[in-house]
Amino acid sequence: MSESITKPNPYFKEYLPQEYKDIVEKEAFKKNKSFLDLGVVKELLEEHPLCAGCNLALSLKLILVALPNPEDTIIVGSTGCSSLALAQVGIHNIHSLFGNQNAVATGLKRALSIRFPDKVKDVVVMAGDGATADIGLDMTLHSWFRKEKITTIMFDNEIYANTGGQESGMTPCGRVVNMAPKGKKFSKINMPEIAKTSGCDYVAAVSVAKPKSVFSSVRKAILVAREIGPTYVQIFTPCPTNLKIKSSEAIIVAEEKVKQGEYPISEYISPQAEEYLKNLGELSQ
Amino acid sequence: MKKEISIRMSGLGGQGVVTAAHILGQAAVLEKKNATVNPFFGAEKRLAPAESYVRISESEIYDVGEVVYPDIIMIYHPDVILKGKSYTMPFYSGIRKNGIIIANYTTEFSLDETDKEELKKSNVKLYFVPATKIALEVGNTELSTNIAMLGYLAGITDVVSLDSLKQSAYERFAGKTKFVASATTAALDESVKKQYAKIEQLISSNNAILEKAYKEAKSIIS
Amino acid sequence: MAGNNLKEVSAEYLLFEAKREEKFITGSEAVKEAILRANVDLAISYPITPQSESMHLVGDLYAEGYVKDYFRGENEFAVMSEVAGAAMAGVRVFTATCGPGTLRAFENFPMWAGSRLPIVMAFMTRGVNAPLTIQPDTIEMSFLLDTGMIMLHAENAQDLYDMILLAYDVAEQTSVHLPVGVFVDGFFVTHTRQKVKVIVEDVKLKSYDPSRSPMPTIDMETPPFRYMRDPFVMKSNFISYAAHASWQQEVIAAMYRSKKYLEKYLGSLIEQTNTDAEIQIVASGTAVSQARAAAKILKEEGIEVGIIKIKSIRPFPTEEIKDALKNAEKIVIPEFNRAGWLAKEVASTIKNNDRIVHGPRVYGGMTMPPEIIVEVIKKGTLIGV
Repeated sequence: MSESITKPNPYFKEYLPQEYKDIVEKEAFKKNKSFLDLGVVKELLEEHPLCAGCNLALSLKLILVALPNPEDTIIVGSTGCSSLALAQVGIHNIHSLFGNQNAVATGLKRALSIRFPDKVKDVVVMAGDGATADIGLDMTLHSWFRKEKITTIMFDNEIYANTGGQESGMTPCGRVVNMAPKGKKFSKINMPEIAKTSGCDYVAAVSVAKPKSVFSSVRKAILVAREIGPTYVQIFTPCPTNLKIKSSEAIIVAEEKVKQGEYPISEYISPQAEEYLKNLGELSQ
Repeated sequence: MKKEISIRMSGLGGQGVVTAAHILGQAAVLEKKNATVNPFFGAEKRLAPAESYVRISESEIYDVGEVVYPDIIMIYHPDVILKGKSYTMPFYSGIRKNGIIIANYTTEFSLDETDKEELKKSNVKLYFVPATKIALEVGNTELSTNIAMLGYLAGITDVVSLDSLKQSAYERFAGKTKFVASATTAALDESVKKQYAKIEQLISSNNAILEKAYKEAKSIIS
Repeated sequence: MAGNNLKEVSAEYLLFEAKREEKFITGSEAVKEAILRANVDLAISYPITPQSESMHLVGDLYAEGYVKDYFRGENEFAVMSEVAGAAMAGVRVFTATCGPGTLRAFENFPMWAGSRLPIVMAFMTRGVNAPLTIQPDTIEMSFLLDTGMIMLHAENAQDLYDMILLAYDVAEQTSVHLPVGVFVDGFFVTHTRQKVKVIVEDVKLKSYDPSRSPMPTIDMETPPFRYMRDPFVMKSNFISYAAHASWQQEVIAAMYRSKKYLEKYLGSLIEQTNTDAEIQIVASGTAVSQARAAAKILKEEGIEVGIIKIKSIRPFPTEEIKDALKNAEKIVIPEFNRAGWLAKEVASTIKNNDRIVHGPRVYGGMTMPPEIIVEVIKKGTLIGV
């Protein structure tokens, strides 16, 4: 987009809400921000309606500040807690149905390539574990098989949080949750491995407790998706409400589980992606 | 010609009943008549029952779908009669009074008495014709059985002329537009074309088969 | 791209003035001919009988350079979401499916309408399981009546061709901007070779202009970039209820606003023959053709019947039907489905609806011999037919 599009008509300016004026004046669309800019620049996420201490909300803030090119980025979401927050984001985003996010993103990305052949338009899917690995798994995988140039980010809270804490495919084996009254009977789906096998050129599993790694994996994923192929980032965002822990301790859980080896952290970069990122140099940091 | 002629073609998948129906319908259109052509609506499998339908008329044709009450039935394979490999049983079901049946045979066989009686009741004329034999003799492939059947049709009835059939068959195999009835039919076409290497050869072979079958038919009815 | 050699023209020129020639083609080939002129950016396919042929041929158009992008999706639900994503990003799309595919994709259709996406799609109607069937049947139309989608029902390949082209112009009107489903009876039309007048001039429909959309195009070029202050979904308060309700009302209003644009191309939403006859047949799709064949037989026997062909199911021609049937003594409604959705629509529209004979109905794939309609008309009832 051209920056001038966001500039309000001077005659309308006084009627616009303060948040809108902030978007224009406080560099919400500034390129290549650092996560250290959080709280200094205008954030793209407006006051969100998620629970206090929500790790998904925190990781969303980190993702948004990591977008290499927010003014030309489109987000495709899905049903779930994340859909409530995504509607509050100051860039174009879609919620259409539960589970179809990678299919919508496929059509969207191809359409944008037709309309803007000489422009970079980053398409980033952000959805929960239920949307990505259960109800929408076929569409997640097929977008990867087809090598669609989109980034898929999963908020992995290991549960259907928005509907009241039911078992998802990403719930660890043995955990007792709704709809798994005797504990989950099979292992957590190994999505990073599946992503790698399915053709993703960049795959990362990170914890929200490590902002720097969230930031850098998201940035790398989006850059690789521009030129090389599909990418996948899985962010561990344990849900304080469903885990029944204090809001202030949610992020500690995200850190502890990783330390205890209960949540595996990983990164895979395909040789082509590696080469590409090397050539980009600092931009990809 | 009767105001509207309905033709049912019954055969086995791969015998070219869909192609034959297309050639016949197109031949009628070349004669400035109206025609509609459609295959039986099923999943296509080689050697499974296959049917197609042609309606030809001087006026507008409305009726669609399978021909329930045919004036002419063309049977491409004896199994349709002998083994009931057909969607319409018995093979003459629905035939109109004074109808015509043209049936391909490879070895001699006779109908059972009930069938004979039924056909007699409706005053149906039944012609057994060696279409596969002619296809092999003249065209050196049984894949051209469908072409021979059309030659017999033109010889026995006045539905379309031999010349129109020749022209239509030419357009069907040499025409610029890729023929589409089904993906399976398109693949078979390629195999037919390969056998002949050159389309010209196929065209002249088709013409020879049409002529031979037409002549034979004329000698049958005279 | 070969498509660049075609000159862009208005929908009016394309449909009313462009030079046409008669071709002996199948309904599937008529779809190809229509898409050749529709200037489609992206077409997405998924195989299902009897639709597949049409989308193979649209694929050929992509290979030949008349469609900019094309691929096979993973299932119908995904395909309908993929075309939705593309339409949101401001391009013209096309897809097709039928029967079970329609039902698998179903959740998308009200979403399309609610998102005001001008998607044009062909439904080559077929029966739904169980037991397994691949045969023609219009039952899926019964399920789709209230999705907010505009629904046109083609009688033959000519209708199919014309309706696909006009559908783009209607769908893309700012005051409409809704999906249009062009329905055609599978096999009966898709696999039947018949004469169709198709455009032979080197022209195509002018490109889709996303700036005419009543919704912001999702491309980060069209403000506002954040158009919801709060996600109004899932909130239990009056504002959220009212937001949803008024939005839905607007979708239906937009659907009815399409009427004048449809009429520009279709004339009336209904077509009548023999308006004064005491017996009237009301039908849509292939059932109209069977009614015409029946009327021909009856005329030879000295019995006059009128035929009312309904071309648009949504918007439904309520006033036209009321008027056309005001003097009818007997109304026969032949249908290719078990539900009898058209008979229900007509029955809820007219006065004294005991004049209606709810049938004959044929389903499971068989054709409806005109003789059956003839018999029902002669008896005036379905009993004993």
